[in-house]
Amino acid sequence: MSFSLVQILLFIVVYLTGLFAVAHLADRGIIPERVSNHPATYVLSLGVFAGAMASNGVMELAHRYGYSFMLYYGGVVFMFVMAALLLVPLLRLCRVYQLSSLADLLAFRFRSPWVGAAITMAMCLTLLPLLALQIQAVADSIQIMAGGADKLFSRDNRQDGLALLFCIIITVFSILFGTRHISSQQRNTGLVTAIAFESLVKLAAMLVLLVAAVYGVFGGPGNLEVWLGQNPQVGDTLQESMRDSTARALLLIFFAGAVCMPHIFHMAFAENTESRYLRSASWGLPLYLMLLSLPVLPVTWAGLKLGHSLPIDYTGLALGLTSGSTFVSAAAFVAGLSAASATIIVTTLALANMCLNHLILPTRLLQIDREQNIYSQLKWLRRTLIGILILAGYAFFKALSGSQTLTQLALVALSGTLQFLPGVVATLYWPGANRKGLLTGMAGGLSLWFLAMLLPLAGEYPIAALATLGEQLLGSGDQRWANAIMYSLGLNAALLLVVSLLTSPSREERIAAEICSMDDKARPVRQTLALGSAADFADALAAALGEKTAQVEVARALSELQFSPEESRPYALRRLRARIEANLSGLLGPAVAHGIIESCIPFQTGLGGASEDIHLIERKLDRAQSSFTGLAADLNNLRRHYRETLDKLPIGVCSVGIDDEILIWNRSMQKITGIAPQQVLGSLLGSLAPPWGRVLGDFNRGDNHTVLKSEVTTDPERPCWISLHKTEAVTDDAGAPRADTIILVEDITDFELLEEELLHNERLASIGRLAAGVAHEIGNPVTGIACLAQNLEYETDPEEIQHSARDILKQTDRISRIVESLVNFSHAGSSSGEISLAASNLADCVDEAVHLLTLDRQARPVEFANLCDRETLVLADSQRLLQVFVNLLGNARDACNEYGQVRILAASDGERVTIAVEDDGCGIPPGQLGHVFEPFYTTKDPGAGTGLGLALVFSIMDDMGGSVSIASPLQSGPNPGTRVTLQLPAADYGAAFELG
Amino acid sequence: MYINRLLLLAVGVFLIFSPAVEEWVFHSGTAWYRPYPLWLLVIFAAYLNQRTRYPDEL
Repeated sequence: MSFSLVQILLFIVVYLTGLFAVAHLADRGIIPERVSNHPATYVLSLGVFAGAMASNGVMELAHRYGYSFMLYYGGVVFMFVMAALLLVPLLRLCRVYQLSSLADLLAFRFRSPWVGAAITMAMCLTLLPLLALQIQAVADSIQIMAGGADKLFSRDNRQDGLALLFCIIITVFSILFGTRHISSQQRNTGLVTAIAFESLVKLAAMLVLLVAAVYGVFGGPGNLEVWLGQNPQVGDTLQESMRDSTARALLLIFFAGAVCMPHIFHMAFAENTESRYLRSASWGLPLYLMLLSLPVLPVTWAGLKLGHSLPIDYTGLALGLTSGSTFVSAAAFVAGLSAASATIIVTTLALANMCLNHLILPTRLLQIDREQNIYSQLKWLRRTLIGILILAGYAFFKALSGSQTLTQLALVALSGTLQFLPGVVATLYWPGANRKGLLTGMAGGLSLWFLAMLLPLAGEYPIAALATLGEQLLGSGDQRWANAIMYSLGLNAALLLVVSLLTSPSREERIAAEICSMDDKARPVRQTLALGSAADFADALAAALGEKTAQVEVARALSELQFSPEESRPYALRRLRARIEANLSGLLGPAVAHGIIESCIPFQTGLGGASEDIHLIERKLDRAQSSFTGLAADLNNLRRHYRETLDKLPIGVCSVGIDDEILIWNRSMQKITGIAPQQVLGSLLGSLAPPWGRVLGDFNRGDNHTVLKSEVTTDPERPCWISLHKTEAVTDDAGAPRADTIILVEDITDFELLEEELLHNERLASIGRLAAGVAHEIGNPVTGIACLAQNLEYETDPEEIQHSARDILKQTDRISRIVESLVNFSHAGSSSGEISLAASNLADCVDEAVHLLTLDRQARPVEFANLCDRETLVLADSQRLLQVFVNLLGNARDACNEYGQVRILAASDGERVTIAVEDDGCGIPPGQLGHVFEPFYTTKDPGAGTGLGLALVFSIMDDMGGSVSIASPLQSGPNPGTRVTLQLPAADYGAAFELG
Repeated sequence: MYINRLLLLAVGVFLIFSPAVEEWVFHSGTAWYRPYPLWLLVIFAAYLNQRTRYPDEL
């Protein structure tokens, strides 16, 4: 039984059209998402591992090595069951940094475009036998189906035209469905669904072969057992396992293949970003492979029973052709066709991405026109590469022309990709490895692989001596390839180890190594960016990507992070930078993306180094807290306890980085400022709403570590005062200096209001003390007025009347002046908080204060000498200044003996006026001098003073922008005296100021 | 790097018992499908293992 070439072509076209249809329907969403995005679809798509080797080649393994054929599946099963060992950490890395291939991964870890280029070239070379294997399986199947089995090993008479046509159709499929998304990290739903469909078809076809073998050839499971009993040599072969070293080598290459083969890597990590899929695959893929392996032994034995003349690899076809069953033949053919097409499609897709990202773009082999649509250019480059790679595979197959078995080709390809395993393991588990070690190790291992594995594919060694040496070193037969695998891997790992230990990695490599070996892949480092907004990012990226692409990429990253286009918070900008790099990594590869980001959006250097991004770390820990166990949970509880304590402190705490970025903002800060933490964390201090940005910013920049009182009233109805303290967070555990500043903000509004009330009471008390004097002062002119009025009653002389009237007016003037002074004094105590700064005559103010004090008749008589220049003007609120002088002169008078002298002097340097109030009183003991401005501190006898006078002076002078200091003693002797020095801005009548 | 403790235990148990298991599976001359129940057992263990999330899975 045979088929015509047209029938076979039709069959291939129908099958591949079905594949196209599935991909198309999934892409269009006609196949519902719950199917195309189901974990089972992902698991089945990983069935891409089972290429033509699983449908054909494995039968030769089973025939020769019995149960040892299971090692082919065992390596992958082991890798997925132990997913936590390599796959889970790799998935995290690939997800966070948008890595879609092994070259991306190793170029990212070893921070070198050379590593990416070397991996890509080596991968293309090692994968040629794999592509040739798939094409050979299809070509040989066509040859057998067409009845030309006898010409299988003839270079000239093979029917390879259909195999070429198959390659072309596969190329079209890959281009149509594998390059729909420009980013290699975006899921190609159609492709994944189609590959999963192929896995199902492959499994179904293999199960058909199982039924055909067990029931068609043996007549049932019982008869199979009987046949096995009758043919003990088959049972012996089954149980005669491989030599240990050969089996280990086989297990090793299949184990490594599960992570190093680009098509599996692509399906596992590029087309999937969810760890739940990988968890499903940890048991789902072993189950699929078990079902796929079930038919292998019965089908192989059925072939033995039939005694067909075809190569063992094509036993499935032999079953169909011998029994004359079109259905079984078609099933066997489809099994091979689906396995081969899936492998070719995904492998070339992955290789095309690698070539584009690591060979074409970094080396600028082809220039991208940045003014044109970059996405379209990249898409076409990728498509061209897919075509070239498939054709290269076909050319390699033609060059071999069927001289090698499928198993031999698989061994060569897999042992080649094994050379990447040391790099992968070092990426996750050895931060000490460096790029020199990796490249040297790979060069050594691949050279040995080339000489011992690849070169023999061409037939005889070109140099006879080399063949002899190879045989002496590696042995012959199975032992030769097993030794070649072990030696090449050993040499590779040894060179990686030795060279890495002897050379030191670059700083960038060290950072990447740390990232790769940590559980938490996104290393939250807080560095300062030179750019200030998302719009600046687009401008900066335009130089490398072109204006339009830069804008699209920035907008895409902003949208993914759910940030607004006006974003300017440093924290947000750092995340935006990382996201753009990850997105560009998916587009152009990590090496090119890293280069673009480093050159266009660099971090600022020389700002005291990077510190950890506390905000980001906290967010992550909060999100993940339910996952912690053991010590990690204890540490997290401790962290939350301290965090809670900090948050609930009754004092506002905010921590600010060297670049003014706000790192901590506790609840008290929210209460004081009315600004919630989520609004400000990660923002710049200066961007806070007024007046906080100015107040905190000035304080943070200033040299003063304490501001006792600062008014930050925003609502006139609710005045607010704060006191500020700051300190630098000195060192970290390693003793390295860190420049973060901790600012404590205390709300002293209640205290201030209480103080003001007390001061007001003090003023009222002063007025009370003055009252007797005032009554006396007013009483005298009133008595005078009364006498004059009595005289007027009887006076007739107009001149005398006029004279009396003038006297009365004089007396009323005196009363008015006294009342006015009193009113002025009481007004100064109004708690409106409004200060009107204006040019005030200093001498007049002092006169008025002296006048007020002289009203107090009970006070000690002293001599006040106002020696101020009558023309000196100060910028002050005259009513408050009066209050200052009343207090200072009152204190001076109380300190003096009877008839002591109080002198008021003033000197101006043009900008500031210095006023000295000196007395020759008892002075102030040095120990008390530092406390005199504190509220309620008094040196007077109990009941004689409230202790608020000088505190009031300090407060008023501070409000008016002046200062006050005190010095005592001025001289030795019984009357050492005291000098209070005031400083106020000088003024002239042309200026008027208002301070809110 | 956090490694699943159960995984380490499983590898240890596998190493210790692999000669005995190999003997039972490959050399006892009984049913040819004997390795498959063992394979199923591995799948079941993997299924149970993946049901609990890894503690370090953020």
